[in-house]
Amino acid sequence: MAEVLAARRGQVTRTGPAPTDLVCDRRSTAGSVSQRACTFCGSRVVLYPIADAVHLVHGPVGCAVYTWDIRGAVSSGPQLHRLSFSTDLRERHVVFGGERQLEECLLELIDKHSPSAAFVYATCIVGVIGDDVEAVCRSVAERTGIPVIPVSSEGFKGTKRDGYTAACRALEQLIGTAPTDGIARASVNLLGDFNLAGEIWIIRDYLQRMGVEVVANLTGDGRVADIRRAHGAGLNLVQCSGSTLELARMMQEKYGTPFRRVSYFGFEDMAEALYGVAEHFRDTTMAERTRELVIEEIQAALPIVQDLRADLEGKRAAIYVGGAFKAISLVKALRTLGMRTVLVGSQTGNAEDYRHLAVLCDPGTVIVDDSNPRELAAFLVEQDVDLFIGGVKERPIAYKLGVAFCDHNHERKIPLEGFVGMVNFAREIHASVTSPVWQFVPRKEQARGTSTFSGKRS
Amino acid sequence: MRKVAIYGKGGIGKSTTTQNTVAGLSEMGKKVMVVGCDPKADSTRLLLGGLAQRSVLDTLRSDGEDVELEDVRSAGFADTMCVESGGPEPGVGCAGRGIITSINLLEQLGAYDESENLDYVFYDVLGDVVCGGFAMPIREGKAKEVYIVASGEMMAMYAANNICKGIRKFADSGGVRLGGIICNSRNVDNEYELIEHFAKRLGTQMIYFVPRDNNVQRAEIKRKTVIEWDPACGQADHYRNLANAIDGNDMFVVPAPIHTDELEGLLLEHGVLG
Repeated sequence: MAEVLAARRGQVTRTGPAPTDLVCDRRSTAGSVSQRACTFCGSRVVLYPIADAVHLVHGPVGCAVYTWDIRGAVSSGPQLHRLSFSTDLRERHVVFGGERQLEECLLELIDKHSPSAAFVYATCIVGVIGDDVEAVCRSVAERTGIPVIPVSSEGFKGTKRDGYTAACRALEQLIGTAPTDGIARASVNLLGDFNLAGEIWIIRDYLQRMGVEVVANLTGDGRVADIRRAHGAGLNLVQCSGSTLELARMMQEKYGTPFRRVSYFGFEDMAEALYGVAEHFRDTTMAERTRELVIEEIQAALPIVQDLRADLEGKRAAIYVGGAFKAISLVKALRTLGMRTVLVGSQTGNAEDYRHLAVLCDPGTVIVDDSNPRELAAFLVEQDVDLFIGGVKERPIAYKLGVAFCDHNHERKIPLEGFVGMVNFAREIHASVTSPVWQFVPRKEQARGTSTFSGKRS
Repeated sequence: MRKVAIYGKGGIGKSTTTQNTVAGLSEMGKKVMVVGCDPKADSTRLLLGGLAQRSVLDTLRSDGEDVELEDVRSAGFADTMCVESGGPEPGVGCAGRGIITSINLLEQLGAYDESENLDYVFYDVLGDVVCGGFAMPIREGKAKEVYIVASGEMMAMYAANNICKGIRKFADSGGVRLGGIICNSRNVDNEYELIEHFAKRLGTQMIYFVPRDNNVQRAEIKRKTVIEWDPACGQADHYRNLANAIDGNDMFVVPAPIHTDELEGLLLEHGVLG
């Protein structure tokens, strides 16, 4: 049995006849090396794909460097978002205040790059010395005529989730600042899709084929002008549950825009998302077009996936991702491939997501919230997994244990959303799981079941 | 080298008392450096005959890291060495960090080296131990003895009691001790007895009672210490006596701060109403 810190016991559970509700949505335990990032990083990952804005990190240079181009968020036009701007605060700025430095940086960047907006991220140091970031933003906005938006993302303020909140508040300031003339009734905003490897273009293509207009991408391949009129859309589609659900709720309250939680991963959830849109707009011809689209896409994709399934049947998988809503999709997608999920967890899942997971997964599945490398490594061995799906921080854990790995996070280069994404997903998993290299891992050389590695590694 | 920090309520007369005492010590032939730890940078005005020098932090800001000791240190009355830490304008940045930065820089530049042959370093610190930065002079064994300037007014005593909490916190880790309370009289009734009792309750002593005298203000307007302005006047002798008391002091304690109720009780018993 894996070793779990006493303070974290409630954040780990096993599915079974009497599963307990998971403790979640709380600050990380001191002493536990959390897989989570800080508040600032949470804001940064949500807002940074807005491609025609300046993203200025107000703090020491490290905050900007370690989050430089942190997602593989692709833009079809401007690439400004991929530059990492920092006010480069030094000791003298800490002593004398960093407001002037911030103002000078903003004016220089706006003059040089002519962005449509600027986001200013407050880091820990700014929170401690008390720079009035809002006042500087207001004054620069007046002088330059573009929106300059403060993001209150001081790293120490809370969890990564609090960073999502700060990002949503920042977007809230932008939405509703441009006219919405000419937007069709059947129109949506795409929330929580960051256009990794061009994924949002796949979704936009589906929606276009259905006859649905996309008003704004929030935030993958995002544009300031689109976001300013996002309140004119008929529906918000919320993918990544953690990061933008709050924005959807805010828009519902403020503008009456309804929202649907969706996932674009796997055949089932992708189809359900599209059918849901058609259903929402109560348009029979749209529903017909959607049915045709799904049939066409699945007919092309299914044979490839079924072919790969033959080698994957019965393999055991572990999932540790940012949001638990995505984990739910992945459990289903793995099932399509004949694989069983034996360990699943997330950085920022909420109680509802975890309850859903507990029902979905087979008995004996370990569910973890805000885990750490030690726990994950122990559970991977204990559950004897063949595949680990995670992000950049999980990759070394898998490889050190000799477990196949699939990057389902910021850095992936192959689109995994949509029907075509499911094919890519199947191919990638197949390539990794069936790689001949794993037979040389010492753990695998021992007969399964008689393994001496029962949780702890020497 | 004796390292001394002066704390006390804002406006109580820390800088005036420090500089006059330093003038007294210098007259005795002691070599003294004064480090002003107040963003206002007015701790050495009387020794230098005006706000005549650039602060450490201003120099760092304009010249970068390439600072020489001579850039930030000036000689004042009777060969005293004068340094002002300086700091940000009111309401911005972090003055506490500024003090940490400038004291570190002074150490790097060798201001405390044996070759400087200093007998005393005086840190004149802004008011209270408000944060980690303002505790810098009593951290890590920098200043070994603290004198608190107080008067018989309640808020001055309240601040003194609070400073004692700060001293106690750093007493174990940094070895700092309280050397006594300097009463800078405001002509409050029964002030002498009150402060003497107060000091005793804190476990320390009233090291000197400096009477109120308008000659102090006259000298100040002339940008001079009393000892320089009118060496023969009675107030100059009081500062000489205080300098002597500090030079001969051997009572260094970890203070025992008292409860506010007790402090108020003391005022009722010995103070204005006593």
